[in-house]
Amino acid sequence: MPTSKATKSTKAKTTRPPRRQTAGPRIQADAVLTEIVRNGVLAVTEEMKTNLMRTAYNMIIYEALDFTVGLFTAEGDTISIGLGLPSFIRGMSETIRAELKKFGVDGIEPGDILVTNDAYLTGSHLHHFTFSLPIFYDGKLTGWTCCMAHWPDVGGVLGGITTDIFAEGIQIPIMKYRKAGIVNQELVDIIQMNVRIPDRAMGDLRAQIIAITTGERRFTELLQRYGREPVLAAIRNIMDQSEQAARAHTRTIPDGTYEAESFMDDDGVEVGKRIPIKVRIIKKGDEMTIDLTEVGRQVRGFFNSGITTGYACAQVAYKCLTSPTDYPINEGSFRSLKVKLVEGTVVTAVKPAAMRWWMTFPMTIIDTVFKAMAGAIPERSIAAHHADLGVAMLHGISPGDGRLFLSSVGPSGGGWGAKHNADGTSATVCMNDGDTHNHPIEQLEAKTPILFERHALRNDSGGAGRFRGGLGTEQIVRARAPINFNIQVDRMHCAPWGLAGGHAGAGNQVGVRIDGMLKDDFLNAKVLSTRLKQGDALIIRTGGGGGFGKPEERDPAKVANDVRQGYVSPAVAKDTYKAKL
Amino acid sequence: MIVRSKQNVRTRLASDIGGTFTDVAAFDPKSGRLLLGKTLSTPADLADGITRGVEKAGTTYADAALFLHGSTIAINTMLERTGAKAGLLITEGFRDIYEIGRINRPDAYNLFFTKHVPLIERALCLEVRERLTAEGDVDTPLDEDSVHKTCDRLIAEGVQAVAIMLFHCYRNPSHESRVKAIVQARLPHAFVTASHELSQEYREFERCSTVAANAFIGPRVSQYIASIDAHLHRSGFTGHFLLVQSTGGLYESKQAQMQCVRMLESGPAAGIVGAQALCRTLGLPDAVAFDMGGTTAKAGVIYRGEILTASTALIGGYDHALPVQIPMVDVFEVGTGGGSIATIGPTGALHVGPHSAGADPGPASYGRGGQLPTVTDANLVLGRLGADRFLGGEMQLDTGAAEKAIRDHIAKPLRMSLLQAADGMLRIAATTMSYAVKGVSTDRGMDAAAFPLIAYGGAGPLHASAIAREIGMSTLVIPRAPGHFCAFGMLHSDLRYDLVRTWFTRLVDASFADLKKVFDALIAEGKESLARSQIKPAKTVIAYAADMRYVGQEHPVTVDLSPDVIRKRDRDAIKDHFGAVHARRYGTSAPKEPAEIVSLRITVTGVMKKPPLEPIACGGPTPSRDAASGTRPVYFAELGKAVRTPVFARDALRARNRIKGPALIEEYASTTVLLPGDAMRVDDFGNLIIAVGRRR
Repeated sequence: MPTSKATKSTKAKTTRPPRRQTAGPRIQADAVLTEIVRNGVLAVTEEMKTNLMRTAYNMIIYEALDFTVGLFTAEGDTISIGLGLPSFIRGMSETIRAELKKFGVDGIEPGDILVTNDAYLTGSHLHHFTFSLPIFYDGKLTGWTCCMAHWPDVGGVLGGITTDIFAEGIQIPIMKYRKAGIVNQELVDIIQMNVRIPDRAMGDLRAQIIAITTGERRFTELLQRYGREPVLAAIRNIMDQSEQAARAHTRTIPDGTYEAESFMDDDGVEVGKRIPIKVRIIKKGDEMTIDLTEVGRQVRGFFNSGITTGYACAQVAYKCLTSPTDYPINEGSFRSLKVKLVEGTVVTAVKPAAMRWWMTFPMTIIDTVFKAMAGAIPERSIAAHHADLGVAMLHGISPGDGRLFLSSVGPSGGGWGAKHNADGTSATVCMNDGDTHNHPIEQLEAKTPILFERHALRNDSGGAGRFRGGLGTEQIVRARAPINFNIQVDRMHCAPWGLAGGHAGAGNQVGVRIDGMLKDDFLNAKVLSTRLKQGDALIIRTGGGGGFGKPEERDPAKVANDVRQGYVSPAVAKDTYKAKL
Repeated sequence: MIVRSKQNVRTRLASDIGGTFTDVAAFDPKSGRLLLGKTLSTPADLADGITRGVEKAGTTYADAALFLHGSTIAINTMLERTGAKAGLLITEGFRDIYEIGRINRPDAYNLFFTKHVPLIERALCLEVRERLTAEGDVDTPLDEDSVHKTCDRLIAEGVQAVAIMLFHCYRNPSHESRVKAIVQARLPHAFVTASHELSQEYREFERCSTVAANAFIGPRVSQYIASIDAHLHRSGFTGHFLLVQSTGGLYESKQAQMQCVRMLESGPAAGIVGAQALCRTLGLPDAVAFDMGGTTAKAGVIYRGEILTASTALIGGYDHALPVQIPMVDVFEVGTGGGSIATIGPTGALHVGPHSAGADPGPASYGRGGQLPTVTDANLVLGRLGADRFLGGEMQLDTGAAEKAIRDHIAKPLRMSLLQAADGMLRIAATTMSYAVKGVSTDRGMDAAAFPLIAYGGAGPLHASAIAREIGMSTLVIPRAPGHFCAFGMLHSDLRYDLVRTWFTRLVDASFADLKKVFDALIAEGKESLARSQIKPAKTVIAYAADMRYVGQEHPVTVDLSPDVIRKRDRDAIKDHFGAVHARRYGTSAPKEPAEIVSLRITVTGVMKKPPLEPIACGGPTPSRDAASGTRPVYFAELGKAVRTPVFARDALRARNRIKGPALIEEYASTTVLLPGDAMRVDDFGNLIIAVGRRR
């Protein structure tokens, strides 16, 4: 796997053959034990997730579920991931591999816990503190648990746009947070010194430690119950089964080379300068190559991500197309996938590229892969979605206690694309996010001096089609005290496209209301470091999904119901759907 | 027996209606006997089935002082979407929050995922002009004209029910109350329900979903309750008619007709109340209650004598959940039951459940057209169920069909023997169910292994010993009549009113005067409900609690508070106790971190007199000859083969009888499996107390 840096020439990831590392007869696991271990490892990561969520201190973890927990083999192969966010699919595995490389197997000992937030390693941003715990059984390194979670503040500038990593906060290289059971207090002191709300950071740190130690305990119980070798054999079976499933699905896709293009609006620095997104998929036999070498070069604004995310984009797209409901999420599903990347693009960025808002561009790359494959496998593809978190970052001084508060509006639900047989889903988190929840408004209003005036679906925002795209949403949020906010939304100009004659949905949009004057005609959807006075408001509108098929082919009864429910206006029903109402 | 009042000498009648069976349990204080009746449910007129059950139990409505009832009507109306045409009135700007929901995609890689589907269509979600702040102050006054306009629309649409949901009503219900009064005046025949009457906790989507569910199921469920009430009166019943809430507590039928959503989980809750009663009798402080039926297995916890409750339930499964934000027994459910089907996936993976053959066509061995192998079939093939003993021999099972299903679909493709395949199915089922048992306890930071397991439901006693072994539990209790256990549980229930109100404050800033005001208001509300039930309980107990968290955390834990610490205004004691609860649940606490209160809780319990458990006849260590009903070969993986296993008739067992595993104990609706190494004794009340053998 891609721990080694890709060279400037295109370097393909090779698929590893099934490994046979040990000599002599191998212990096998039958179908019954395999199933018991499958349920067992899923339960391990579920319990890790439960304990993290319930003990975390910050809303981004406990409501937005901006984290991932996982169980890995001794080598760092994914056994099971408890999402969290789909885009985190690679970060933990790569981190463990890098840790093994740094310390060597002999440099890892029982009682160790390793930590890093190296953005170029995790592929994401410095907010993702990643803790890994080596699991020893009978004195042998037998697996790892890992937890990557978003800390709300890691230092760095507040608001605006960053153009290098050093402005984004503290960087912790791979280090031992705990060595043979002894916590490295000096490291903890450094972290505390460099974050704005150290108490919260330490609360989240504790929650992550609880998650990985929970996983260690439960996996060890599984090993004790069934034995080390049988459990590892069962894990190999699970991976082999996932591999077979992915290959079988891949085989049913017609061989060929498929391409598609789209673009990002801009990088927030050079307003209006589009960033091309071009993908090529080569499908042959039971393997697929996803070539991302022609996505745009890394940008000045903070929308870059590391090579791990390049791989994650391809893996997420591949899993969606070949084995979407195969659990646990494990390494086997990706043995039939090759990924071509070249250093220095927006998803393989190198130091000192700014990474704070890493998550936006990869989603559009994934959408573009679906676009490329839509002709070959329309029944498995999907029209484009709003592809943005729709988040406004807020900070200010709380009138209640005079302390700094950090908060956010969003993540916001937007419209998803229609499929060959169904309308798109309305008001749902973007591809980057999975089991991510929005914040209850009543809770936000109790904690932050804001008042929501509106949270509603955007009528007519879903792309017209035989199947209609899902609807985006609008939020209008009034300041009850002075507030600074930052919004960095993309896909305003690159509206979510339709497929097979379906129309595009509405793009994302942002606005403000200052002194009672509405302004929602910004050149892009990035409004940086803006201050709201009491009574002013910010507005976030998320896009609607693209449609599928021609609108005039839509079932008239569905059009009539759309009009009754208000999803589609009578005018659009008449003009676009050619409906007789 | 000393006769103290009329109520004491009349029977207490309980009836639990499930999908397949209607169970009746009656306690007759004159004889001290527990009477049981089981009949098939009669979907066309459910009251019919109850009447037949009452007759089968050998009692009458006229003899009863209390009629206690639990039913799946509320949950089925919601899940099957057979409720009313309802409208939602909501704060201006927010008509879509019900459809928007929490915006998550749990099935994160599935491009064909779908969201929850609201119970009220968007066209009938209408806005009224008003807005309160998080402090409960008026930001925008209530515009009554806007309420009248929405009423015009609801009248034109012909809705049967109206849900009212205004922001921050838990801080100030005046707008909701006023809107409700207007709607009731304008739509006098509609079922009208306001969110603050059901939930005074923050979280607008969850509260909205709760009040919408109440409106949706209200007309049908209230009509059902009224029709049973009428039926009871026609049949000469002159006592009180109470229903089981999702907490396991009782409420009066008039109250149930308004707050229908409180009885969603009445069936599972009643079983856990039964387990609690059993714990009291047996002197067990803690236990896991485990109920396994045809399609699911459910586990709940009794901790220090109390049933653990959760503040929200997700109805309809996590992915499409319609949340209901009211206290409920905390039940962990998995899709494993007797009807669960075993399948092999395209890559050779063996799964058991969650698909179920249900009652129709049912397992292959039912001979009703089911071809696929189920857990019940595996039990039959292994000899754990007797082909001619099912339901007391009323239903013959087809062993050949079960063997064929398992051989063709599982054993042959996996190149296993028939017995290995059947045993493998049960092992997978047992591990899956063990996660339900672990889940409900580890979620709370408790160690299930230290708890006794109380197993009931038709299939529970078949699998309980295997599950206990998986978890490392050492004691297993199979109550008397495990197939009637939910009806039995109702007889042990109390009147109960749970009141919760969100009240955000840091503990250091908390005004005890204000705190007392909120508690007093909640207590007054609870006592008023109790008074309205017109039942005079033996005594009234008030329990105080607060939902607390460290500042910055989201998920609070519920901390019970003694009235003492509130009277003494003892902040430190509250903080310490919160720390202890937090540490138990999460394995950590942070004494230096500031804590905050999120919500205040009051439970007003009208304690009812309970029927004592009935002792059974006493015997010696060896079961009498009439209890031994032969032997049959049963396969045990521990022994690697099928062995001749003694079978006992439970009805003929006497107190103090002892049986060592392997053995089977059969009764009308259930079979208990003792695995090799298990040692069972019958206690004075006829419960089977099993010392679970060690796991291999």
